[in-house]
Amino acid sequence: MVDRVLSLKKKHRIAVAWAQDANTINAIHRSVKDGLVDAVMIGQSDRIREVCSNNGIDHGLFSTMDAENETNASEKAVKLVNTGEADIVMKGLVGTDKFLKAVMDKDHGIMLPDAVLSYVGAIEIPAYHKLLFITDPAVIPYPDLRQKIAMAGYAIGMAHRFGIEKPRIALIGASEKISPHFPYSADYAEMRRMAEQGQFNSCIMDGPLDLFLSCDAKSAEIKGIMTPIAGDADILLFPSLESCNPFYKALMLFAHGELGGLIMGTRKPVVLMSRSESEKSKYYCIALSCLMA
Amino acid sequence: MVLKSLADLKTIVAGGPKKKVIVAAAQDQNSMGAVVRAWKDNVIEPILVGDKESILNICAANNYDITGVRIIHEPDTDMAVEMSVKMVNNKQGDVLMKGKVGTSSLLKCVLNREWGLRTGNLLSHFALFEVETYPKVIAVTDVAMNIAPNLQDKIAIINNSVGCLIKLGYQMPKVAVLGAVEMVNENMKATLDAALLSKMNQRDQIKNCIIDGPLAFDNAVSLESAKHKGIRSEVAGDTDLLLMPDIEVGNVLYKSLVFFARAKVAAIILGAKVPIVLTSRSDSEQAKYDSLLLSAAASK
Repeated sequence: MVDRVLSLKKKHRIAVAWAQDANTINAIHRSVKDGLVDAVMIGQSDRIREVCSNNGIDHGLFSTMDAENETNASEKAVKLVNTGEADIVMKGLVGTDKFLKAVMDKDHGIMLPDAVLSYVGAIEIPAYHKLLFITDPAVIPYPDLRQKIAMAGYAIGMAHRFGIEKPRIALIGASEKISPHFPYSADYAEMRRMAEQGQFNSCIMDGPLDLFLSCDAKSAEIKGIMTPIAGDADILLFPSLESCNPFYKALMLFAHGELGGLIMGTRKPVVLMSRSESEKSKYYCIALSCLMA
Repeated sequence: MVLKSLADLKTIVAGGPKKKVIVAAAQDQNSMGAVVRAWKDNVIEPILVGDKESILNICAANNYDITGVRIIHEPDTDMAVEMSVKMVNNKQGDVLMKGKVGTSSLLKCVLNREWGLRTGNLLSHFALFEVETYPKVIAVTDVAMNIAPNLQDKIAIINNSVGCLIKLGYQMPKVAVLGAVEMVNENMKATLDAALLSKMNQRDQIKNCIIDGPLAFDNAVSLESAKHKGIRSEVAGDTDLLLMPDIEVGNVLYKSLVFFARAKVAAIILGAKVPIVLTSRSDSEQAKYDSLLLSAAASK
């Protein structure tokens, strides 16, 4: 992923809201050094300088901007994008709700008109043969049909940016049957029909499928189920935040996965990660945002 | 005691009397290998109920020597299952295992009001995972049985699982109630249930364990993540049992641990008079074997 970004040879400017934790600063430092971005760090600048010197980082590598609190820092970061002084916004140590409030603000925010706000992650797992895109691990608790359609569209768009011309998108469920016990399965049937009619950009869509049928070619064979995904999914769309969130966390903690991810539905890329995420994952997110900018 | 690996199950089983495992409709290519191996290892005593000719054919084709194993001939599958369940009821078996019969047919017999294995408890699925990156075995429930458990069901599922862990030697197992977030959010029912379960535990309405939740997956299994988020909890980072909000979450998590994290797994059904082993075709032979060990260890 990082190679792909560097090959674009275009440097972006990132505005970081409440940028005073070591994780964030380290990730930004690495991105600046690698030539991915220039950065504006917004927060308590004396605190930022202190963290920099504690970590042996030259704070002259990025510009700093003072903000009084989390909300103020978020608003300032979004404003920089609105005025064209930055083209990517990133969440630092601020709480997700405060940060998103600034992003979604009707007058000063950066949402696309009538867009669904969602999240697409790209996860690298040693046990899988390629990058896996997942949605939505962070924003919409129980997506309805309209939101699922938007989520699929965002993920397909991101896969296209990675050069995957016809991504395979698996609509994830506990079984492959459409059943009234699982309301999301009816949405999936609807989406599959839309895909057949070409209402999604270039992709191969199937579901409901369980994780084995989506990602394990052998299991698809054993079960004798015919699906065009056949254990080779590029994208997994989950029925709920509740299922997607532990999925990616389990992969990060137990399967040596690394995640990059972005908020979708905005005019410019928004980098939002859990505060506890590793520096490496934050770095991947920044690279991803450059690819999408 | 806390299990460090699934191999510890063998130690537990070896220390007690040998358990009788009744295999219902035992003419089953998929489960026979694990049953024979467990028998050879001297950890269980199988009783094969089913079509004798098919059973012997399968064993011959796979070079399994089962001389000395008791076979009860019953060619009709439904009758074989009924007979197996009745044998358990007559205290002739300590564990029931599914052979070549559909899960729903087997469970229908288990739940039969006259001669089934009901105890008044909810049936629930209980799985143990051994993952390289976690310092001990982690139990997960319910990933396969209850579709969308309500609060009452979740209490029953916890009680089933905690009872089982205690039989395995745990004292006051640490139970994390999983949510997508660690904050109680009125729009996410799982987090409300989690908060209620935690409080009920503090008030001794759910005993013999320490419950905390909601905890997101990372806080439940990583102390570092929990610290980073400023969560103070006895359970965070040290979870023994992870309670799933529903089957969608459980199913995905179970499969991702097996497929992506190369986890070893053992699983049984709890809540009936005896543990029930329900393996599926896609389970590895090792998983079937470990499930048999778990069932024997959990049957007391």
